Amino acid sequence: MPVPILKQGDVLIASIQAALLDRDLVQLRDDIADQIGKFRSRGVVIDVMALDVLDSFATRTLRSIAYTAKLRGARTVVVGIQPEVAFGMVQLGLSLDGVATALDLEEGLAYIGGLAHQDVHRDR
Amino acid sequence: MVEQIQQTTPRALMQEMGLTDAVIERRKQIVGFESADLACIIALREFVTEHADEYMSSFFAHLANFEEARPLVANRSTLEKARQLKREHLVAMVQGEYGARYVEQRLELGALYARVGLDTRVFLGAFAHLLKQISGGVMRRFERSPAEAHDNLMSLNKVAFFDLGLITDLLVFERERTIRQQQEAIRELSTPVLQIRERLLLLPIIGVIDTHRARLITDGLLRAIRANRAKVVVMDVTGVATIDSRVANHLMQTVTAARLMGALVIVTGLSSEVAQSLVALGIELTKFNTVGDLQGGLDEAERILGYRVVPVPSNAGSPAQPVG
Repeated sequence: MPVPILKQGDVLIASIQAALLDRDLVQLRDDIADQIGKFRSRGVVIDVMALDVLDSFATRTLRSIAYTAKLRGARTVVVGIQPEVAFGMVQLGLSLDGVATALDLEEGLAYIGGLAHQDVHRDR
Repeated sequence: MVEQIQQTTPRALMQEMGLTDAVIERRKQIVGFESADLACIIALREFVTEHADEYMSSFFAHLANFEEARPLVANRSTLEKARQLKREHLVAMVQGEYGARYVEQRLELGALYARVGLDTRVFLGAFAHLLKQISGGVMRRFERSPAEAHDNLMSLNKVAFFDLGLITDLLVFERERTIRQQQEAIRELSTPVLQIRERLLLLPIIGVIDTHRARLITDGLLRAIRANRAKVVVMDVTGVATIDSRVANHLMQTVTAARLMGALVIVTGLSSEVAQSLVALGIELTKFNTVGDLQGGLDEAERILGYRVVPVPSNAGSPAQPVG
């Protein structure tokens, strides 16, 4: 099942609702890279709240989405990692180095909003 | 503690100390006990069994000379029990069977020594005295073939050292029991996660961190982050006496897991000794956000969250009012 990507202003929100096949993740990566260009988005929020496991492939794909988005000019934040998932990832030695994380969707949007705010400040 | 030892049977003690058949076999190898020694010991069997009472008495007579052995010799019933066990020991020593049953008997006597708190040095002295007595007797008995007597005694010596190893291990084991119990108690101290401001948590860690406890700490923290919607966590490790690479690794996991949930962790309270030993061990903690002490950590956390603490102007400068 492909992941729906919602557009909210200049932010893309990908809300993962069910366990994903590797194929779906790759699809998600391609779609996000595509749509950032199409909508001239400044931020991407990936919500993984519904997932109860993040394996090495998913972690790697999330990282590559973040890096790809950066190259396309958008910042990525992964939100909603559950305590059990976080602990499991740490035990498996998986990390999301270089990828911003936030507690939930609201926080993620606030983070991206804050970045935009900072950028505006910097521009002045 | 004393009661606990009393409740522990020698068999349970053997298990606790991990004395399996394989370990016992290994211990025999370590003292160099071989099948050839069996024959030598059998040659002594009759003589030692005959004089067991005499040697046992001599052992306790030697002990009685020393103030340090008082706890053992002062109590009549304990002493009676010890004498009986020691006699059995002397007989068992020359039977040529040194398996689990033999070890169990040794531990029973050793547990008795531990219970009364017999000084290890005095015990070793008395044991040396005992061996000297036996040697003297055996040399006289085998007057005409000193070489044979020597061989036999050497074999018996191996058994004696096998026994000594067990007894001293047991005495040390019992002494360390207190330490283990205390560590257990420290480990079971709960680790509270406190909210000290909106979105700011404090995690004071005190005591020994092992894998099990690290898991509990991480688990508790992650849940608290979600429940309080925390953005910054100040982790204070002032109460952690030593941080080695394992502990550092546990802390690192906690920090990383918290970050995955979108919370920033500030580590405070690394003492100068701990910091120096971490550097000396080459443990990489550059990923940590560290601030010297708890106060500094809270200041930093408040700054990140956008708080600013200012003194109330009306009180500024005015001296504190004396109470009453």
